[in-house]
Amino acid sequence: MVSKFKIDQIFILPFLLLVFYAFNFLHNFFVLGNELSFFTILFSCAIIEFFIRKAKNGDDIYMRPISAMQAMEEAVGRATEMGNSVLYVPGISGLDEIDTISGVIILGHIAGMTAEYEADLHVPCCVPIVMEAARESCKESYLKKGRPDLYNDSMVHYVTDDQFAYAAGVNGIMLREKPAAVFYQGKFYAESLLLAETGSSIGAIQIAGTGSSSQIPFFVTACDYVLIGEEFYAASAYLSGSPEMIGSIKGQDYVKLFCMIFILFVVIVSIFNYLNFLSIDISNIFKINIMDGLK
Amino acid sequence: MNFFKRQLAIVVMSTMGFIALSGYFINWTTLRNFTDKDATNFYMIIAGFAAFLGCLNLLQLHLQKIAYKKENWQYSIFTLIGFIIMIIFGFIYNGSEVDMGPHLKDDKSAFYWMYNYIYLPLASTMFALLAFFVASASYRAFRIRNFEATLLLISGVLLMLGRVPIGALIPWWVVTIMFTSIFFAIIASKILNRKVFFLSYVFSNILFIILGLLLDWSLKTPAILSIPAIQEWIMAVPATAGARAIMIGIALGIVAQSYRIMTGRERSILGD
Repeated sequence: MVSKFKIDQIFILPFLLLVFYAFNFLHNFFVLGNELSFFTILFSCAIIEFFIRKAKNGDDIYMRPISAMQAMEEAVGRATEMGNSVLYVPGISGLDEIDTISGVIILGHIAGMTAEYEADLHVPCCVPIVMEAARESCKESYLKKGRPDLYNDSMVHYVTDDQFAYAAGVNGIMLREKPAAVFYQGKFYAESLLLAETGSSIGAIQIAGTGSSSQIPFFVTACDYVLIGEEFYAASAYLSGSPEMIGSIKGQDYVKLFCMIFILFVVIVSIFNYLNFLSIDISNIFKINIMDGLK
Repeated sequence: MNFFKRQLAIVVMSTMGFIALSGYFINWTTLRNFTDKDATNFYMIIAGFAAFLGCLNLLQLHLQKIAYKKENWQYSIFTLIGFIIMIIFGFIYNGSEVDMGPHLKDDKSAFYWMYNYIYLPLASTMFALLAFFVASASYRAFRIRNFEATLLLISGVLLMLGRVPIGALIPWWVVTIMFTSIFFAIIASKILNRKVFFLSYVFSNILFIILGLLLDWSLKTPAILSIPAIQEWIMAVPATAGARAIMIGIALGIVAQSYRIMTGRERSILGD
């Protein structure tokens, strides 16, 4: 009973906020016209929080095995056996991109593995601020694994800010050092194929992950494993193995299920509309531009 | 010390996250100005300091390589020469009549010359390599290994033909033969008698061509037999549907990841 009450509490604040927003009780305190966006974010967060708490309370949560994540440890192990280094490319964007943050988070886990296996890690960075964050993340991971002696600052270094100069620099590192495992995790643009094809030519096991939907096909073609779409953002939760983090993935999956149901509903209503059984233009609900509300 | 590295960092991270998000929904000009301008400026200032650290790191790394004659140390000499030359042309030697500072954008300055005649051709060379990499990647992707790879090959060929002028010149009967061939290639394993298979294939082609002549497809070609129309359909329907599915997944992933970071649950970035 107590736990049920606690779980219900999660929805009270979002519900109240939504009521205030929708009925404008707070006299223009909220930007008008963004109700749907606000509701979607609130609803998604409430569902995710609900499953995080469920996982925290000890509920067993199944997470389907994702081959790219399982292959990460394998790749580091392979590099150790071959006596070659592990190359980690955190993309070319700054820390203002969530992809780069995810990339740095995954780097922490990979650094933990290289510390455990005593493999060499090499992280060339394109943005100085990312280099600092990556260094901190690697240092902490080596410390956590009890191997601070294996860490040195030069394993995470700056190359250049320019996109193609960076690609040339990383390609040079690949061709000279011949790493056995290459990870591409972050935000990538046109340089993705230049990097992945070079990695493929040296015979390295390549694992990519990005939120740039336009670069996913290139990685799929040239890499051994790819974290597609939301898998990339779920990787850190998956690798941490912590129940509450995995709970958030389940919550995310439920939000996706609601999206699918909603899409199906819209398709059915649109078909009825087309056949003149209904006269509701459901697409009007979605014609909300968050930026218009801000004007 | 641990408080500054852990708790304070989490508090700052969560607070800034919530403030940035609320800027979209709360009708308060001060808040919106902060999220749109001030917060961006904060980031730019911190990134500016980090840029200085980046340059120092680059110098330190390559100087060490040269000093200790580490493997491939010769390349570091070129890196340092490039680095120093650009610093000289940027800060010390101008080469034009314009003042220092604006000279970076003056086409008579030494810095601009270096940019135009060394940096840009090198960057273009790297970009041009992409064409060859696309060709080798396509070759690998189009190798027929399974059903998915075959589908990829067929749609890839149709897209390539549809995007070039020659695609529009391909007559309907060639497309009919292409479709019949694809169909027979799929069912080939089911028909064991080669004679029956060959005759069925030939008669199907003849039948479709006669049908096309009777229905006057030369003048009114159905969209399914026009390569540019097929290309447009592939791009507008299956490709868009797949891309949107991935986009929805990415958006949900971003929401969940941001929520984990804002609520302080995702602490891996701090090394936890």
